[in-house]
Amino acid sequence: MNLRDADSGKVLWQGTEDFTNPDVEHEARVPRKILKCRAVSREISFSSVHAMEKFRLEQRVFYKDRMLEEWFFEFGMVIPNSTNTWQSMIEAAPESQMMPAQVLSGNVIIETKFFDDDLLVSTSKVRLFYV
Amino acid sequence: MGLLSLLRKLKSAPDQELRILLLGLDNAGKTTLLKKLASEDITQTTPTQGFNIKSVQSDGFKLNVWDIGGQRKIRPYWRNYFENTDVLIYVIDSGDRKRFEETGQELGEILSEEKLAGVPVLIFANKQDLFNAAPASEIAEGLQLHTIRDRTWQIQACSATSGEGVKDGLDWVCKNLKKK
Repeated sequence: MNLRDADSGKVLWQGTEDFTNPDVEHEARVPRKILKCRAVSREISFSSVHAMEKFRLEQRVFYKDRMLEEWFFEFGMVIPNSTNTWQSMIEAAPESQMMPAQVLSGNVIIETKFFDDDLLVSTSKVRLFYV
Repeated sequence: MGLLSLLRKLKSAPDQELRILLLGLDNAGKTTLLKKLASEDITQTTPTQGFNIKSVQSDGFKLNVWDIGGQRKIRPYWRNYFENTDVLIYVIDSGDRKRFEETGQELGEILSEEKLAGVPVLIFANKQDLFNAAPASEIAEGLQLHTIRDRTWQIQACSATSGEGVKDGLDWVCKNLKKK
């Protein structure tokens, strides 16, 4: 998984560990300057040995219990022995509505659920700290 | 020229979600093109072993660009990604003359697919920065593009690495989105 400044394409944070272990809440320490970006992109990379016919994901971003952002994405076919990436880009909220880093830090969670049709394949939770 | 500006231009289109499909032989430059559109570093592109997708969202309007690997073993899976495509972008390595025939065949097969019937196609004659690159006109003739009569099409010379010609291609894409 990585996070980029979508204007410059520069990677601001990258984690190469396996984020799919559902028993662990993962942590990402992201430079707080990311909150100043006009647009941010989030990329996840995933591999599958097996083919899947109706692969999809649901990704939600929470601040405490409040959902800030929600993505549903249908991939459809996943090729056996493939490595794939999905990047979503979103524009930042107007600066006036942006919560400060110290308020957000540790309270933002990106939850990604992967499904093959209706079968939940994996869940990943990453808590963001702005440092 | 980036994806967000493309999306902003497209906002007047009737659909809420648009799908652009990038196909072409391996090493044609599909992933480099996709990265270039997102202003990303293109020095470390590796062969795509599946797909790369970029989704852009602005005011509830979404654009999804799908780049599917072009290796021979992956090509049989291309058809799984045809559905709901609004524009097809077919990328050719203009310096790889030995494979013009192969890429022409693949393109011919794609264009005969029912699921892509009537979908506008932009052909990027990529890698124009190479000294031995064939000009777009030569590729158009070699591939007999003039025989395409069941859809709008365009060939555009470009270099994904320098960005030259890419914007012109995308402008064409904006103008020719399939009307549903």
